[in-house]
Amino acid sequence: MSHSSENQQARILHASGLGKRVKNGERELVILEALSLHVDRGESVAIVGSSGAGKSTLLGLLAGLDMPSSGELEMFGQSLRALDEDGRAALRAGRVGFVFQNFQLLPTLTAMENVMLPLELSPRQDVTAKSRQWLERVGLGGRLDHLPKQLSGGEQQRVAVARAFVTEPDLVFADEPTGNLDETTGKRIIDLLFELNREAGTTLVLVTHDLALARRCDRCLQLEGGALHAIERRTGVGV
Amino acid sequence: MKLIGLSLKGLRRDLRAADVRALFVALMLAVAATTMIGFFLDRLDRGLTRQAGQLLGGDLVLEQGRPFDGELRQALRDAGLRLSDQVDLVSMVSQADAFQPAGLKVVDDHYPLYGRVRVDRGNGIEALDHGPRPGHAWIAPRLAQLLDVKLGDSVQVGTLALTISGLIDREPDQQAGFAGLTPRIMLNLADLDATGLVRPGSRIEYELLAAGPSAAVDSLSGRLDELRDAGVEVRDVRVDRPSLGRSLERAQKYLSLAGLAAVLLAGVAVAMATRRYVDRHLDTAALLRCFGASQRQLGQLFAWQLGWLGLAAAVIGALLGLAGQAALLALLVRFLPLELPPPGWLPWLMGILTALAVLIGFAGPTLLRLRRVSALKVLRRELDPIPVAGWLVVAVASLVFGALLWLYSGDALLSLGTLLGGLVALVVLWGVGQLLLSLLLGVLARLPQGNGGHAWRLGGRQLARRRQASLGQLLAFAVTFAAMAIIVLVRGDLLTTWQAQLPANTPNYFAINIQPQERDGVETLIEEAADSASGLYPMVRGRLTAIDGRPPSEMVPEEHRNDGALRRDLNLTWRGSLPQGNRITAGEWFGAGASQTIDGAVPISVEEELADRLGLSLGDRLTFTIGSDTVTGEITSLRHLDWESFQPNFFIIFPPGALEGFGHSYITSFHLPDASNAMLGEMVRQYPGVSILNVEALLEQVRGILGQVTRAVEFVLGFVLLAGVSVLYAALTASRPARAHEGALLRVFGAGDRMLSRMQWAEFALLGFASGLLGAVLAELAAVGIYAWLGLTPRLHWLLWATMPPVGALAIGIIGFTLSRGTRRQAPMASLRLLGET
Repeated sequence: MSHSSENQQARILHASGLGKRVKNGERELVILEALSLHVDRGESVAIVGSSGAGKSTLLGLLAGLDMPSSGELEMFGQSLRALDEDGRAALRAGRVGFVFQNFQLLPTLTAMENVMLPLELSPRQDVTAKSRQWLERVGLGGRLDHLPKQLSGGEQQRVAVARAFVTEPDLVFADEPTGNLDETTGKRIIDLLFELNREAGTTLVLVTHDLALARRCDRCLQLEGGALHAIERRTGVGV
Repeated sequence: MKLIGLSLKGLRRDLRAADVRALFVALMLAVAATTMIGFFLDRLDRGLTRQAGQLLGGDLVLEQGRPFDGELRQALRDAGLRLSDQVDLVSMVSQADAFQPAGLKVVDDHYPLYGRVRVDRGNGIEALDHGPRPGHAWIAPRLAQLLDVKLGDSVQVGTLALTISGLIDREPDQQAGFAGLTPRIMLNLADLDATGLVRPGSRIEYELLAAGPSAAVDSLSGRLDELRDAGVEVRDVRVDRPSLGRSLERAQKYLSLAGLAAVLLAGVAVAMATRRYVDRHLDTAALLRCFGASQRQLGQLFAWQLGWLGLAAAVIGALLGLAGQAALLALLVRFLPLELPPPGWLPWLMGILTALAVLIGFAGPTLLRLRRVSALKVLRRELDPIPVAGWLVVAVASLVFGALLWLYSGDALLSLGTLLGGLVALVVLWGVGQLLLSLLLGVLARLPQGNGGHAWRLGGRQLARRRQASLGQLLAFAVTFAAMAIIVLVRGDLLTTWQAQLPANTPNYFAINIQPQERDGVETLIEEAADSASGLYPMVRGRLTAIDGRPPSEMVPEEHRNDGALRRDLNLTWRGSLPQGNRITAGEWFGAGASQTIDGAVPISVEEELADRLGLSLGDRLTFTIGSDTVTGEITSLRHLDWESFQPNFFIIFPPGALEGFGHSYITSFHLPDASNAMLGEMVRQYPGVSILNVEALLEQVRGILGQVTRAVEFVLGFVLLAGVSVLYAALTASRPARAHEGALLRVFGAGDRMLSRMQWAEFALLGFASGLLGAVLAELAAVGIYAWLGLTPRLHWLLWATMPPVGALAIGIIGFTLSRGTRRQAPMASLRLLGET
């Protein structure tokens, strides 16, 4: 825990003793146990693990989409336990972006409208210009009015990436962003993701089972048996 | 504000979705149907009130035996009413040697307050807005014939000679009744004194007619009560309006019923489309939660979105309704005996209220589900919020529909009864539906192996697998079919009843004042020329002077002490057999030879509504004063009679032998084809004392209104059927993704297009067949109550049972099959991806 220190501003995520158990009939199933983690501003962290290791559960907890059974979790210095579901949503608003394995684009909305969606929740004026600008950044300037079903998988994920970055968030979560894409397309998406991340100085938390992808992050953590282990250190940050 | 803008944008994007379109169409149809009916009934009602005011002579009519004083006039004027004076009396008029009793109608310069007098002043018939000038008289053509005078001649009224300057074709305030049977002569009020007819003891009725807004009449209610107590006869157009009777009342009820059926159908469609809408927006809601939207924001966002949709549907629906009723009236304008006032504002308001109520009631609870979406759903698809409990959806929808019922019918008890009945029926249907599904599947399992049977079995299994969803659809379709069937059934029976009520040979003439010695001659004349006749009824005039030996004013319920039946002579008749069209509702008809007295009283039969008003029941003894004698009868039966039959109808019927000793005349009604009008002249010549009353105009008016309302009924029927189709569309749209998914999986497993088509066809047809059967049960049950409400005779509808199941199978089969065509054509991959499963 080399980062127990001073700069609260630098700390984006902080988890200690995090546990998640679910009831399955009479039995209680332990998914995560006494897990600790912190992520600093501008870092990119990969969480790898086999299928069923609880990666998505952890991502849901870290993003405040779900509540832990035990332990403490802070996002942007704010304890999530102290907040109700609406409070956690308000904390995410405009500051957290998401990229999902299955893109999660709304089928009745055009590419442009999908990107506009998170912006429209905040009191901003430049919604259209900003969305167009980000779609152009991901190379879809000519496909603004296309519906998701008119786009290829790679294009859909690029729309999702634009949507994740359009609010200029502090933190982006990516859940198996290449899981539904072929290798070449996946690689392009990852290049794009890291490029935008670097340019915008965003913090990135990425869940994947793809080790090659994980290695491109500053830190790489393995989720196994409900706990996290560092599998590689590049920048001296520890678990 | 941000949310409102966002909701509008969202809605615009959503217009691409089938469920949103289904929602829109359903709401629009509900509003169009209700506003169209609302506009139409509102205008018809106001038109009838106006016409009634015209028939009555004003909105308020006061009548007494002496002139009205100036203070009362001032009070009426201060309240905002226009006044006109009129004096009625019967007197002899003469020309040379000819004398004839005539009904004098003495009018002032403000006459008529409503409508116009149609008079022939020598240049054909003109419609004038005034009465005769001083020194002039207008007379009925029959009086001219009896006195043998023509235009320009002079006629003697009392001590005054007046110039005949007009022949009256129709008075606007001519009431169809037997009160003014003497032929009419109309003169100016300025001439009344000079006639010398106003003397102490003369039987003169002074009338003060007033016209103005109903609020003005309302403001005088205290004063009017005082006048009533002082013996003044007060007629308020809204209370005493001569009604067109049950036919129109039935038609109005039918139209309201049809409107409500359309609302119910739209409600079902909205409920089904909302389920799909919510399912489709779960992802949006989860994403928005991810992006930081609060529950409250989500709730507001979707509420606004549907609110806009509802408002747009309401406005467009109301415009459609307005256009619909305008088209309706344009089609009917030549049948209209009425001048209708322009459309009012109330129907607009009701339309918008209806749309919002349907939206809140039928979509509201389901919509709540969107608020409860967890953001985690973006990571774990299976995390759908628990669907809102079925009972909650049904309860809220029922509550709102009950409130709408109340709003439209104004009858809380009826609404509550309907609601409870409906809920019980739903629970029963749920059970029956379960049973029916099991039964169908059992039968299918026994189908012989083979290609066709296989498809049916598979289709059936599809239904069985989604048992709850299938049951929901089954009930929705059953309610839909039942509502449509009821509207069709009632329409048919209503029209049949109307046609039976006024057949082509319905009497169009009445002949009265037929003296006993003229009876045979008149009967022969009528038999030769008329194609139908009621037969001659003897008529004795007598006044009810005692009930059980005490004055009627002590025995009658307080609110009916001023009843016309107590103030005037009643027409009594005797007869051995029950007249045609009469029905005994209590007691027994006195048989032949029943003239024996029961302790000095003869058995009599009384019309049920009169008995009800006067608080009379079987066993009561009524004493009538006829001339200087009295006769007492004991009520042994109550009768229901059809006032619209154009037959002579009597409140009181005595057995033969009781009244023959009194002075009497005869009355009859008959139908005369136009060509035979020569007979009337013959009758007048041979029997000058006989009065002939032409009711062709009244008959035409009733026929015209029935015809008009029939068309309205048919028009509205179309709307209800459309609303029904919108339900089918909404329901099948809602279940399309699930069906697409199943289809895709089966395709993956190797099912061909032919197999899929057959299977889907089988599934829809089975669903339709079961719904049709269940709908027939529901329709037959509901018909019992509805027929009683409309006063129609209930009957079993065999045809319904025979046609509904196959028609249901065909309708659901065709619509469902067509709607699923797209999913059958789609590559399996696309269908699966549609559900996010790739």
